Amino acid sequence: MFKELDPILHSQLRLAVMSLLIAVKEAEFTFIREKTNSTAGNLSVQIQKLKDAGYVDVVKQFKDNYPLTTCKITKKGINAFEDYVKALQQYLQVGK
Amino acid sequence: MPLLLYFNTMTMAEEKNLTEQESLQLITEMIHKVKGSFHESGTSAILWGSVVGFCGLFSFVKAHFDFSTGWFDVWFLTLIAIVPQVIISIKESRQRKILTYEESAMNAVWLVFGISIFALAFYNNVVPGVSENFYAKDGIELLQRNKATGEISAFHPFIFSASSIFLILYAIPTLVTGLARKFKPMIIGGIICYLLFIVSCFVSFQYDMLLQGIAGIINWLIPGLILRNMFLKGKAC
Repeated sequence: MFKELDPILHSQLRLAVMSLLIAVKEAEFTFIREKTNSTAGNLSVQIQKLKDAGYVDVVKQFKDNYPLTTCKITKKGINAFEDYVKALQQYLQVGK
Repeated sequence: MPLLLYFNTMTMAEEKNLTEQESLQLITEMIHKVKGSFHESGTSAILWGSVVGFCGLFSFVKAHFDFSTGWFDVWFLTLIAIVPQVIISIKESRQRKILTYEESAMNAVWLVFGISIFALAFYNNVVPGVSENFYAKDGIELLQRNKATGEISAFHPFIFSASSIFLILYAIPTLVTGLARKFKPMIIGGIICYLLFIVSCFVSFQYDMLLQGIAGIINWLIPGLILRNMFLKGKAC
């Protein structure tokens, strides 16, 4: 029986964000935007969706009078990501 | 690799349905991107390598030529160096856009090392006096006798070859960092530091100071300069 791919993660930008955050303890919004090559508006929307799903924590603060947004993956997000990768591997093994 | 090129050049401006292969490719690419994002500047290593190197060599020269600096102990510089270290740490944390698990663990290792060094300095300064007091409470006085003259005088306890223990402690975080980051200069530095420790067990205090200075230079100053060079090259790319 195939596991259904998590629709929250099975999206290009959200998956890219989660893949970045799984590899680090925390990352600034600007770093994620630069590495995913996305627009600030779209990235904000997708991060908000991940936040609503409980997959990421978002901390907003100020640094040198400029807003600074930091994101980090949650335990729930790590579990969801691991499940997603396992499901992907299942699909790929059948496709061979 | 066409797929990789595709991901590199696209702007993720809109939702896109991914195939399973594309998903795995994207995950791999993103994790790979993070790997090349952190570069140690080497500033802290240069600072502490310079300070410990200078203090060790100065102490050796002072003992060798037998001159006094009065109340000022050159090792107080290690306390003063905490100020620029705090400034460097704040500055680097402000410039940092990501915090990796590895960096976080390394920071913890060096913080614990810093605390341990000062704890060891405290131990070396306090334990002899406290030991003497304990003996005194039990009515015991420690004495030493000069074999040549037969003269007997009070013996004030001290930690034998205390600087050898410092060398062991210097080696720990250096070798841990070198092994964790696969950074050869620190691996070599850490191993040499253990060798210096062995040597220090057999030589006098004066040469212990020389070994401390060498340890500071080999452990931190040289790797720090190499890191700095790599950091500047990385920035230029």
